[in-house]
Amino acid sequence: MSIKDKVPVTILTGFLGSGKTTLLNRILSEEHGKRIAVIENEYGEVGIDQGLVINADEEVFEMSNGCICCTVRGDLIRVLGNLMKRRDKFDYVLVETTGLADPGPVAQTFFMDEEISSEFTLDGIVTLVDAAHIDQQLGRSDESSEQVAFADVLVLNKTDLVSDDALNTLESRLRDMNRMTRIIRAENAKVPIETVLNLSAFDLDQILKRRPTFLEPEYPFEWTGVYDLDTGKYELMLEEGPDPEMSLVAIVNQGESEEELKDGAESSVRLYAEKANTLEPGNPIPYGEHINLRLDDKGNKSFILNIEKATKIGLFTQHTAEEFNMKVIKSEENKEIPFNTERFWQAEHEHDDEVGSIAIERFGDVDPEKLNTWMGRLLSEKGVDIFRTKGFISYSGNPRRIVFQGVHMLFTAQPDKEWGNEPRRNQLVFIGRNLNEKEMQEGFDKCLI
Amino acid sequence: MSDIEPFSPRGMFHEGWTAEVNDYAIACGWALKGKQFLVGDVAGGLFAFEGDTGKIIWKKENTHSGGLIAMAIHPEGEIFATSGQDGNVQICNCHEGKVIKTLDLGKDWVEHLKWSNDGLFLAIASSKKVYVFNEVGEEKWISEDHPSTVSAITWSNKNELATACYGRVTFFDILNNKTNQKLEWQGSLVSMELSPDGDIVACGSQDNSVHFWRRSTGMDAEMTGYPGKPSHLSFDDSGKLLATSGSERITVWSFIGNGPEGTMPGELCHHTEPISSLAFSNKGMLVASGSRDGSVVASFLKKDGNGDPVGAAFAGDLVGAISWRPDDCALAAVNAKGVVNVWKFKVRTNLFSKGFK
Repeated sequence: MSIKDKVPVTILTGFLGSGKTTLLNRILSEEHGKRIAVIENEYGEVGIDQGLVINADEEVFEMSNGCICCTVRGDLIRVLGNLMKRRDKFDYVLVETTGLADPGPVAQTFFMDEEISSEFTLDGIVTLVDAAHIDQQLGRSDESSEQVAFADVLVLNKTDLVSDDALNTLESRLRDMNRMTRIIRAENAKVPIETVLNLSAFDLDQILKRRPTFLEPEYPFEWTGVYDLDTGKYELMLEEGPDPEMSLVAIVNQGESEEELKDGAESSVRLYAEKANTLEPGNPIPYGEHINLRLDDKGNKSFILNIEKATKIGLFTQHTAEEFNMKVIKSEENKEIPFNTERFWQAEHEHDDEVGSIAIERFGDVDPEKLNTWMGRLLSEKGVDIFRTKGFISYSGNPRRIVFQGVHMLFTAQPDKEWGNEPRRNQLVFIGRNLNEKEMQEGFDKCLI
Repeated sequence: MSDIEPFSPRGMFHEGWTAEVNDYAIACGWALKGKQFLVGDVAGGLFAFEGDTGKIIWKKENTHSGGLIAMAIHPEGEIFATSGQDGNVQICNCHEGKVIKTLDLGKDWVEHLKWSNDGLFLAIASSKKVYVFNEVGEEKWISEDHPSTVSAITWSNKNELATACYGRVTFFDILNNKTNQKLEWQGSLVSMELSPDGDIVACGSQDNSVHFWRRSTGMDAEMTGYPGKPSHLSFDDSGKLLATSGSERITVWSFIGNGPEGTMPGELCHHTEPISSLAFSNKGMLVASGSRDGSVVASFLKKDGNGDPVGAAFAGDLVGAISWRPDDCALAAVNAKGVVNVWKFKVRTNLFSKGFK
């Protein structure tokens, strides 16, 4: 049975009072031409208006091996097992969980049980969040942060009760926790149905189309300018800016293609990890080193760039050039040399929550065996803390890209469309608790060929 | 050609009859000592056919609103019980299908029904509770809540009922309202069969294994290595062989000698897709299997659990249930499209066939 013939299932989670039942009723009453079966927990907040509604106790079944990733929802297996014999009666399934439910076992049921996975496909996880209360809830319970972490769509509900400023802060907090998710603001759970049903949320192309930078990793620098410089002496001029100092890495022979820029960024990330040497104005900038420009003097400050042989210099700066009105000037001619290319990067910022997202993006091919070993070890050691994994991989020798998706330790890897002329690359996102980004990136880098 | 051995007893499928019910057929069985064949479909349709010809005797629709889940035919074959999503159990007469008694157990699905071997009691599982009624529908016993939904029930002797749920099998003396034995194991038990003498308890588990206990010694063992969960189990009438599903193969454990611990199971590879129903013949080591691919095979087994197919047929779609006629001279299979197939099963013995000798 191909994925097209399988019945899509949406999981609806959220704390008590977040508006799940309101949204459920909205979905059921809207004219969308779908026949929806609803599996509702016993303690639903209010009654459901119509549709094929089945009550189920939330029965979380752990396995004898003690592995939390093998934990499934026994009630769903029973109910769906029966429902699949009546496929003529419905073409969509909605599973509502209680506020305290862990979404893991619900999602895992669709991976772990062969009878279920052969008939149903997990379309997406929608989490409702009460904008007025989620801040406290996130502090108090693991369940609420897990529900945020698992979400493909976060409905930020009851926005009428909260100021715009507070909403923006909240949204960026939620975004930090789960960078894959799509956030929709709503009053009274009023959201367009197509934003919660038929998401194919596990389809990465969809996600990328919606948010092309979601996989973009965060960098310790915000900006790169590539300058084409002949032999000679240049000055890097900076005016007063937001900070009394700025970190910088200068790379020689920096290419201008996206791939070359990313390679440069990767080398710079490694250099940025080293302690910066402070450089006073008037001194030459060393190449391939992490330096910290002292900018606390008033007025213009200049640093020296010595070019022995014509080359392209890439400046990877902590802030954007604009913020300090940064310029490169050829000393003899006192002439400004504009950059050939600039590139802005997603800047790093502080993460307060334990739950967060890690993205890995690399060009090139990976060795399937090495990747399997690495993923296997990573998921067996950290599987409990890794809630969701999504991404695609370029296996050497395989003309198709390989799509990954996983819940805790369970993951599937399926061949997807052909690469064609597209540059071969790898993009992976992990959402989890207390993940070590550097370690994971280094681990992945070792799988590259 | 003198080294060629005579044939072992063999049998095969012969043309019988086919019929159709309204929806996905999920339950079937022989009533009136094989004179009648009953089929229940998922929508709540019930159909009684003449056992020999397939001629319809009576039919009923929408017997359970929301759908039918289980059916059990009384061992005497005169009455049967059905249950459904409506929380009801109906006890009906086989001759006309007339409802003798309706039991309303609440709003939860009623998923399992089992008559005791002497036919005095009907055990019913709904959600976390198990009920026992007598033939005329009087309540005789109710269990306390189990820790989770009851996933299987079966009678171990005339007054003792076994129940399986997440984490345990429990034996209840229903006349004295006493718990006789509890067998615990952390795992979700999805199916249960007892050997005919009641000593061996076999359960299929969600984690793709079969767990079994010997009640007399308290010893237990776990048989792992299944690709899927073994939802279907069947003991032969001697209690020596246990056939299990869990993949497209039938895995057969032999309890002869010191087995099955430490032994290799017999494996029958006749189907291309996972087994969806299994049934040993009422007598002898003949196992019938139905698969998601629609194939039905009967295999004659040896003591070690291996064996050979002796007949096969195509039932058209996923085989929802399979049933041997009480005399084992016919085999019935019902499928996901509502098609009923009954084949005459003729056993040839050495008396008739001497092979090439």
